[in-house]
Amino acid sequence: MGLHEQLQRLDEARELRGFQTEPAQMRAAGPGKIGELRLGFALRDGRSVLHDLYRVAPLLVQRALYWDEAMPELPICAIISVGGGILQGDRYKIDIAVEEGACALVNTQSANRVHQMDANYASQHQTVRLESGAYLEYLPDFTIPYRNSRFINQTDIVLAPDATLLYGEMMMTGRKHHHAEERFGFDLLSMAVSVRRPDGRRIFAEKLLIEKADPAIDFAAVMKGYDAFASILCLTPPENAARIRSRCETNFPPGGGRAISGVSGLPNDAGLMLRVVGVESYDVRAEVRRFWQIVREEVKGRSLPPEFIWR
Amino acid sequence: MDQPRRDEGTAAHEMVHLARLMQFADSTLPVGAFAFSNGLESALQTQVVSNPASLLEYVTLMTRQAARMDGIALLHAHRAAVAGDFAAIVMADHELACRRVGEEQQQMTLRMGKKFAELALKISDFPDLGRWLAAIRAEETPGCLAVGQAIAFAQLGADEGEAFVVHQYGIASMILSAALRLMRIDHLDTQRILFTVLKRVQEDYQSIRGLSLEEMSTFAPVFDVLVAHHTTTHVRLFMN
Repeated sequence: MGLHEQLQRLDEARELRGFQTEPAQMRAAGPGKIGELRLGFALRDGRSVLHDLYRVAPLLVQRALYWDEAMPELPICAIISVGGGILQGDRYKIDIAVEEGACALVNTQSANRVHQMDANYASQHQTVRLESGAYLEYLPDFTIPYRNSRFINQTDIVLAPDATLLYGEMMMTGRKHHHAEERFGFDLLSMAVSVRRPDGRRIFAEKLLIEKADPAIDFAAVMKGYDAFASILCLTPPENAARIRSRCETNFPPGGGRAISGVSGLPNDAGLMLRVVGVESYDVRAEVRRFWQIVREEVKGRSLPPEFIWR
Repeated sequence: MDQPRRDEGTAAHEMVHLARLMQFADSTLPVGAFAFSNGLESALQTQVVSNPASLLEYVTLMTRQAARMDGIALLHAHRAAVAGDFAAIVMADHELACRRVGEEQQQMTLRMGKKFAELALKISDFPDLGRWLAAIRAEETPGCLAVGQAIAFAQLGADEGEAFVVHQYGIASMILSAALRLMRIDHLDTQRILFTVLKRVQEDYQSIRGLSLEEMSTFAPVFDVLVAHHTTTHVRLFMN
């Protein structure tokens, strides 16, 4: 199986130049190392359904389930990694499309662990496409980059001006209780997102880049005293964004707290960005969930069901 | 020993060049920098910054961030201006603007960019800057300050390194002049901080000079929350 063009382009990223050695185990990007997932949601007889599914291990999605009691019409797919986490040499490609007027929630089964690496790196390319009036919540669970791991992720989003996408990443800085050098002990974390309109016009882009031994990590305006963060995009029309914004208060008491958060406007009326920084994953998760609930209520007129007690 | 006349001429040209760069780098250049604190006002309210040591750290981070975002766009715009490629200038402008999160952060770079162009055109003839300002007014390009600086400095004959230095100096001096009005600190401390921060400028330039526009990057989550914090603050002196 050949490597997809967009994954090949990621291979050429400058920040990966120092990590080109072959793993002693299975060959990088070889058979069994390229996970693929394609999910398509569409309206069928007035109901949103998963109408297109293609998957290659180690990525897996089974059927869409409708278990959200606050939004019973919402098809929900959990991305499962049968490999037990991301390993060196892994390449992932995820494509999600939501057709006109349809809605969906895509999440993951558990935290996404990026395992320790002594050769090569892992990469992921995602495309997310939303047609007119589509609504997608794509909220993967925490990514936990283990020490010496190298992970690069590029997400290309194309959405219609009247569609809404809630997408973001929650990150741990490592397994902080596991090893003294685990906090920001990874070699590379590179997370880029690009948002375009269907006519090709780019309205937002961002690249979060953390390379090993970055002295700024423990600056007070970066992550000093905190071990988890989240960056959540709400791409939605300006009238929705204004209503959501009016309900979001900045949470940053003097001296900080368990978690601090705030919502900012994106350029080109693209929508909003929630940033959260917290001590533990659950502190960050609570802030993300609060924002998620406001977004769903303002855009779809539905709320969130009670949180599962095991999350 | 007498120097050859040719060198005297070159020296005179370089003196004017240096003097004009100093004019554009001056913190009192009326482009509206006095109205912006680049997040410092919220950093003080939340105690992210509370004394000269934490202010030094904050200014260090801001100049580092500016290098990895605006600095990259500035170098690309400068190269485009030198090559006479207006479309590439507009491209650098768009790519920078579409990465600016937070209305007040956007306002800072766009307002100062436009004012910078208007000022430069009042004091001299800058054809490319005139074309760029017309494009801003026609909403064909956003008008980021770093791009305006790149165009002007290219025309003044400054190389990209010099343009980068002036830009970085402007970021540091803007925050430090806001600090004088916002916190208990004196001019001697802010000058000491400025002197220390400027030590990094070459290192920052070296680290970004080979990067593409797509490689503009950032990582300062607490600062991002500060940006949001300021928009919801009731008592404030500054526009960001």
